[in-house]
Amino acid sequence: MKSIFYISWIAVRELIYEKVFYLLFSFVGLALALGVLLGQLTFGEQTKLTIDFMLGSAHLAMILFSIFMGISLFQRELQMGSVSMLLSKPISRTSFLLGKYFGQILVQLGVMVTLTGVIFLSLSRFENVQYLSVLQATLLIFFETCIITAITYFFSVNAGSITTALATFVFFALGHYSFSSERSPATKSNPITEMIVTIVPNLEVFNLKTFASYGVTISNRELGLSLSYALVCTAMFLTLASLTFQKKDILT
Amino acid sequence: MSQNPCIVITEVTKIFKTGFLKNKIAVDSLSLEVAPGEVVGLLGPNGSGKSTTMKMILGFLKPTRGEILICGESTENQKARTFIGYLPENPRFQKFLSGRDILSYYGKLLGLVGNELIKKIEFLLDLVNLKHAANERVQGYSKGMSQRLAIAQALLNNPALLIFDEPMSGLDPLGRMEVRNIISTIHTENPATTIFFSSHVLEDVETLCKSVALLQKGKLKTYGSIESIVSSVEPKYDIVIQNLPEDLESQLFFDCPSRQLAIGKSFSVTGPEHLSRVLSKIVSSPAKILGINSQRKNLEESLFKANDNTQSLETSL
Repeated sequence: MKSIFYISWIAVRELIYEKVFYLLFSFVGLALALGVLLGQLTFGEQTKLTIDFMLGSAHLAMILFSIFMGISLFQRELQMGSVSMLLSKPISRTSFLLGKYFGQILVQLGVMVTLTGVIFLSLSRFENVQYLSVLQATLLIFFETCIITAITYFFSVNAGSITTALATFVFFALGHYSFSSERSPATKSNPITEMIVTIVPNLEVFNLKTFASYGVTISNRELGLSLSYALVCTAMFLTLASLTFQKKDILT
Repeated sequence: MSQNPCIVITEVTKIFKTGFLKNKIAVDSLSLEVAPGEVVGLLGPNGSGKSTTMKMILGFLKPTRGEILICGESTENQKARTFIGYLPENPRFQKFLSGRDILSYYGKLLGLVGNELIKKIEFLLDLVNLKHAANERVQGYSKGMSQRLAIAQALLNNPALLIFDEPMSGLDPLGRMEVRNIISTIHTENPATTIFFSSHVLEDVETLCKSVALLQKGKLKTYGSIESIVSSVEPKYDIVIQNLPEDLESQLFFDCPSRQLAIGKSFSVTGPEHLSRVLSKIVSSPAKILGINSQRKNLEESLFKANDNTQSLETSL
């Protein structure tokens, strides 16, 4: 357990040191500023549009962060060879994987809290904003990023950087589209789509952007169910990643 | 009573999949035992299986067949790595950390805490001569400094077995000398520590090792003490002679390499018997012996012979 903590702490410091981290932060800042600007241009539905755009930007930024930071933090260490000195110590490969994962999640939590603060600040000029619904939406975005990060780690163990990024994006897209209410009825009876639905986690569970823009909140029970679902999916992908990682030949 | 071996490699084979239905045997039925306190050099040309063997000892690669024990523990078990200190060929660190931070991080992973850790870090920084740069970020370290820091991290747990993968690789002569001196110091101060290292530079191996193992195409070709390997080759002598009659020259030095010098002619003879025969004949002739030099037998030549290879090891390694 202690080794997971030490590896996590170094992972946090590594992510803060990463320049990509600041780039993503800049991207989010720009998107949030655009959201505010767009809200000013639109007559009538300023609040709704601003919330929608800001949550969308935060969502996209967090997904990009999960995937690219996951690749940078975990896979690069495997490819560069710095992992060899670490794994020559009496620590398990699972501890290494979990240490990196929790370090990244801790930083993602910090980024999400900051983004939520920025969104709240931007919304403070509007009246009748249902802050709880926005908070719930950002919380579920964070849950989703926990799953996406676990998927990234799973692919990182098994494939190269580009394949990992592409495969995780595919999982992300399918996880939303396959379960979206906007999906065409024809695809719903397609056996391939049905197979995808069984292996890809339902990420639409975590999409509360529309709810938040209309000021609708979900119950604590629904929130709890979403959290449980996120935990199960995350645990499943991390377990698969760990099992594969233990069998993996480390050649660097 | 004899001590238990530090490394026991029993019939280890490693096969890599290189494509659909294609395999490559990297290590083939390798068996090797290394006693505690030995300094063993692992030699072999590129692709001979040196790195694969080291990675299997470290548990990075799982043998396809066979077993490796470190101080009695299978490399499959995490516990085996409590006995190991490892220096990779190209050590890479988290560049935002200082040398001291790196040692503290690895020390904590090894279960060292508090004063014990602080004292150990100070001792090791002193040993590898990095105290002056201990608080600098490692991104500013030279190759030699990184290598010395990597040696320090390998020593944090007072390992029974030190595995050095090309420890002098990429270093300038001064850096090589520094690393060589550090390894010598480690061996002198901890005579029970086994040092197992690979190198392309035979001179380093000859200076540091007591024994060598030569791998070729994944198989163990030679394993033994340097002394026994070197003494298996007959010594050579250079004799410089003046006024040697032609008939005697063709009689005595038929097939012997020779060189014309300003003061006479130099001949190279192999073995003490050949030397005695030549000397007894020359003494009773008008020829004058100007000098006899014993050629230094080196490891390269000995391994070259042991390996029955047609090309120089220096070029193939």
